[in-house]
Amino acid sequence: MSDSGNSVASENRDGYVLIRLSGEVDLSWSQQVRRAVLDAIANDTAVGVDLSDVSYIDSSGIAALVEGFQNARTRGSRFALVSVSHAVRAVLELARLDRVFLIVDTPDAVIAAA
Amino acid sequence: MSVVGAKPAASRAVDAPTLRATATARERETLAFLADLSRTLAVSLDLRKTLSEAVTRVADFMQVEAASLFLLDPESRVLECRICVGPVDITGSRLALGQGVVGRAVAENAAQVVADATTDARVWRAADDDNGFVTRSLVCAPLATADGPIGALEIVNRRDGQPFSDADAELLGIIAAPAALAINNARMAGNLLEQQRLKREFDLARRLQKSMLPKRRRDNFPVIGVNRPAHEISGDFYDHFELADGRVAFLVGDVSGKGLDAALLMVRAASLLRWAGKDGVSPSAWLARANDELCETTQDGRFVCALVGYCDRAATRVHFAGAGFPPVIVRRGGVFTDFPSGGPPLGIMTGLVYEDHEVALDGGTLYAFSDGATDVRDAGGTPIGNEGVRALIARHAESSPHARLRGLLGDLKQLRLVDDTTLLLVETSRAETADVLLDHRIPANAHALRGLRAAIRQALDRLHIEPLLRDRLVLAVDEASANIIRHAYGPERTGEIGLRMLLAGSVLTFELTDTAPRVDPQELRPKPLGECRCGGFGIALIDEVMDSWNIEAAASVHGNRLILRKRLGDPGTDEANEA
Repeated sequence: MSDSGNSVASENRDGYVLIRLSGEVDLSWSQQVRRAVLDAIANDTAVGVDLSDVSYIDSSGIAALVEGFQNARTRGSRFALVSVSHAVRAVLELARLDRVFLIVDTPDAVIAAA
Repeated sequence: MSVVGAKPAASRAVDAPTLRATATARERETLAFLADLSRTLAVSLDLRKTLSEAVTRVADFMQVEAASLFLLDPESRVLECRICVGPVDITGSRLALGQGVVGRAVAENAAQVVADATTDARVWRAADDDNGFVTRSLVCAPLATADGPIGALEIVNRRDGQPFSDADAELLGIIAAPAALAINNARMAGNLLEQQRLKREFDLARRLQKSMLPKRRRDNFPVIGVNRPAHEISGDFYDHFELADGRVAFLVGDVSGKGLDAALLMVRAASLLRWAGKDGVSPSAWLARANDELCETTQDGRFVCALVGYCDRAATRVHFAGAGFPPVIVRRGGVFTDFPSGGPPLGIMTGLVYEDHEVALDGGTLYAFSDGATDVRDAGGTPIGNEGVRALIARHAESSPHARLRGLLGDLKQLRLVDDTTLLLVETSRAETADVLLDHRIPANAHALRGLRAAIRQALDRLHIEPLLRDRLVLAVDEASANIIRHAYGPERTGEIGLRMLLAGSVLTFELTDTAPRVDPQELRPKPLGECRCGGFGIALIDEVMDSWNIEAAASVHGNRLILRKRLGDPGTDEANEA
């Protein structure tokens, strides 16, 4: 984690990869987020992106999530947003993407929800 | 035997235990009857129904041949028989106060006993007729209330042929009490309903009046007004509108009298004056036309004082004419000039001629006000007059026009407002000065965006913008800045982004400047939201959040200026009307 409080970390869980994002996702590091999401999907496992600690997200951050969602769908993998923070949900709603993503409350629900 | 002026003996002190121990069968019967009678009267507020039944019960209980109930008309002071039981119907019979036994019972607020009616001079023999009904003996008790008697209850001829006694008078007095109470209650309920009906009508008139006042204009309009009724409804009005040739017309009026009649005349006069000025005739012709029309339809000596006029959009010259209206005050460069508007009020006599006036404003202000403003009383109770109004204007001279009118009205309210008050001013509109809320520069670098967002967030918090809107505004400006970094400067160039955040009225403006190569506005097209595609919806988010935005070339050789606008919560469209 840097001074800015921005961080991205991937963690192998039982049957899925959980990516934890925190801080303010903006143009300055959304490419790192994109890379982490695409790398996780490349393993052909289910992927969850935990957004509970994200206090801000811009359109470049949203774009990284959209790209992950599309890649996972192409590969037939599950892709879910986990514990979406209020700030992120507000932007998803504004972009009318809140019904596009699978959004779950807990990490384990990434694979539980079939 | 006849006893005159026996008071109903309600004051005889009897407590319940004594009564229980000593009451005779007749007394027990009386109590039971009183309870029954009270219940009958309490059933409904419809007096015709309940009183009719009550009087029938009284006749039966008292074992008499006839009974009647008279009510006193509070206006005419005449007693009228409203309910009658017996062989002869005297319903509708009228008696003056003091006339006959009934009139005397009410006039003296005392029961009357007539043992032998054939010899008693007090008796009014309306009930005696050719069919053989003869009034032999009678008793009459007043229907007493705290505000005096409201009528009387009368019984005629005991069925056993005996003359009435003082005991009968006492009993009737007791029986009359719940009847008086019931009638009083029903009347009060009726008054309440009447008051509610009146209030509904007043509310309607007030809403109608308010709907006739013009909406506040935000487009640098040179005329603004305020109106404050002294009471629920106003006799004052004002209006402003644009003529086909671009001139701005205005009118102020004051209808004589108060209350609902004046309010309705105000509604008519306001429509009429607007109609009469629509085609841009001179103010004097405008008034003459309205006067002739009003004279045809206005009666009762009511009249309308009015001032009408127009100015060019920039308010350099004002033309006006007055009809019984207070002098217009013009303030130019700190100097006041009065323009008595002359001419008699509208609606009194047809064919009158009014006088046109013209004044060059030279950046000054024309004030027109109904006499409610000059009639305002100072601490000593003296009307402040023209001088007082000038002093108030001078006090608020430095404020913006809206703030000035509000300030003036506030001061007038602090003094004693005795009449409806309307103020209207004509002045060259200066664009509202904007407050600079933030002036910030960042290097055109994505890592600087976080600091920019924090600065915007703080500035919006100082304005008490609610969090949801605040976060959206932050997002939109961040997206715009990110686009400047990514697309205007691109990876090859460095530079700065300047952000100014301004508030003018209720419009929040974000002004983003850069020194990047000129951007072609045609290339900036939003991608539809809700589509699942990677990137490119920054502009769509800006569209979603802001009311409008545009990009223009900056003043210098290079660079662009991006302007984003958002109107904040509308604080109401009315002018400062306080109806």
